[in-house]
Amino acid sequence: MASKQKKMTPQQQKYQQLQQKHELKRPVLKNCIKAFFVGGLICVVGQAISYFYIYYFDFTEQSVGNPTVATMVFLSMLLTGFGVYDRLGQFAGAGSAVPVTGFGNAVISAAIEHRTEGFVLGVGGNMFKLAGSVILFGVFSAFVVALIKTLLGMWGVL
Amino acid sequence: MVYIIRVIFIVCVSLLVSCSQGQTEKESQLALMKTTNPNPTVTENNSDQDNVERIEREVESIDEIYDVAVVKGKEATLIVYKVKHMQRFRMKQIEKDLNKKLEEKYPNEQFTVSSDYKIFLEAVRLVERKDNGNLSDKQAEKRLNEIVKMTSAMK
Amino acid sequence: MLKGKQSWVFQNRPMILSTGVSGGPFEANGNLADDFDILHEDLWMGMDSYEKAQRVLLEEAITTTLKKAKMEKEQIEFLFAGDLINQITPSSFAARTVQIPYFGLFGACSTSMEGLALASFVVNYQGARNVLTGASSHNAATEKQFRYPTEYGGQKPPTAQWTVTGAGVGLVTENNPGQQHPVTTSATIGKVIDMGLSDPFNMGGAMAPAAADTIMAHFRDLELDPSHYDLIITGDLGRIGHDTAFELINKSGLKLERKQFQDCGLLLYKDDQPVQAGASGAGCSATVLYGHLLNQMKKGVYKRILVVATGALLSPLSFQQKESIPCIAHAVSIEMNEVGG
Repeated sequence: MASKQKKMTPQQQKYQQLQQKHELKRPVLKNCIKAFFVGGLICVVGQAISYFYIYYFDFTEQSVGNPTVATMVFLSMLLTGFGVYDRLGQFAGAGSAVPVTGFGNAVISAAIEHRTEGFVLGVGGNMFKLAGSVILFGVFSAFVVALIKTLLGMWGVL
Repeated sequence: MVYIIRVIFIVCVSLLVSCSQGQTEKESQLALMKTTNPNPTVTENNSDQDNVERIEREVESIDEIYDVAVVKGKEATLIVYKVKHMQRFRMKQIEKDLNKKLEEKYPNEQFTVSSDYKIFLEAVRLVERKDNGNLSDKQAEKRLNEIVKMTSAMK
Repeated sequence: MLKGKQSWVFQNRPMILSTGVSGGPFEANGNLADDFDILHEDLWMGMDSYEKAQRVLLEEAITTTLKKAKMEKEQIEFLFAGDLINQITPSSFAARTVQIPYFGLFGACSTSMEGLALASFVVNYQGARNVLTGASSHNAATEKQFRYPTEYGGQKPPTAQWTVTGAGVGLVTENNPGQQHPVTTSATIGKVIDMGLSDPFNMGGAMAPAAADTIMAHFRDLELDPSHYDLIITGDLGRIGHDTAFELINKSGLKLERKQFQDCGLLLYKDDQPVQAGASGAGCSATVLYGHLLNQMKKGVYKRILVVATGALLSPLSFQQKESIPCIAHAVSIEMNEVGG
């Protein structure tokens, strides 16, 4: 940021200070509280679904993750298709973006959006335009962490 | 819009309601939400009930653990427990300590130790059905072995 | 006639004979729904893509304008139109439909006034008798291109603005004294101003200096005082940009009253509609001017107005490459024709 500021002319800096005064700030505290409750609520639903699978199917606590995630993504697909999830997102912010439902929403909304360009170039090509970087950096950081753990294990630290 | 939200809500509620019907075992329904403390059980009535009760008391005496189910079969002894909420961060350590403790005290027994909710639930169900007389000794032994198998598959 | 550095005075006073304004469902629930000629219940307008829907909006606005003027499209010499979509395809495709010789314009959200200024200039110097000019935007098509998919649940900050779904078209003709119609009297073409802001969710703040610059240039070139106008209205600065522009102008020494300085983006929607800082988009100033404002002028509420449409000249690529947002503003002054004058 500091280097960026230097490049600006004094006139630009002066204007930006003036503009800052009028700019509406994001209500961070309010957003955090809303995100906490909505995010928590989504997790309660997820917990209920995983209990459902534990009770009625042969899933243990460890293997129940997969069907639960699949179900949550399915639900978020329905909500996205009905046009509910983007309103929820505007209200809850990170609360609805961070759980896996937000990931589902990112994929599905892009798929819906680009349906008009056909299935191959449209849906296929654009489906992961928002979620693609999540997948890439998720896989990459998992790889790095696994590598560190393996090396530590080899050296006998862990 | 409101209509759609309402439909989704109704679907969710009816899903949840339908789940809780057709249950004969009352106790195991809530086994994951509250403390159940099922009776320690042996699959064969004649064998050492006292021993099983001692094991259960032993496990319960550990601070971090509450709600213990012990089922002893011909060979295997299944011990399932819940860990207090804030202690769940140390689950692995607790399991290790418990294993060690049990092995020292009962070197002749074959223990299967688990804190998995699913295993706990199945253990409670088994105990309940046995207590109600819905399960013969032989069936109970078979079910116990299935549960033990499920536990080892997880690891 | 060139006056000052960057302004034109239209001494022949080209007339805005008729207008056509179409809008989508969100505008139908808005503040100015009565001033729209055509309102759609469906965001798709019966088409299978949002881009086609935007083309339909512009075509309908053109047809309505011609119908109200009781003219055929063969009588129109030129069409000046533009929009925000890649390579302005909705406007060009609409021009293909109506088969009127066509100038495609791009000035982002300032396209409406760019078109009106050029159309007035051409008519003023007998380059044409009848010229159509307009601009359109479609909320979903614009969001798709510039931001996230429509259904994506991202949180927009309070500085974000809502792109208008709508098209506004005006028919500029030679002045016919005795007819009670609005006429364009002068225009000021703005220069591109970049104050180094790079937040695409705060366009108002980026565009405010461009609006202020053009307004100040207008009064300097024409040697006028702000009290000359009943209303000075900016295109789509929104709440933040509008406040900022007001402060900038007042600091420069021009005496501007708060109540004579308004913003199209703040008029269009009701307070309870979730538009954050206000409306934006090429269709914003076009629909408000050709619908609401000209209707108000015909009713006699305003006699002289200055419309300043502002545009942020960014592309999705440029802001991803961390470029700042250059902005532009064009002003056109509109008066009521003197009857029998």
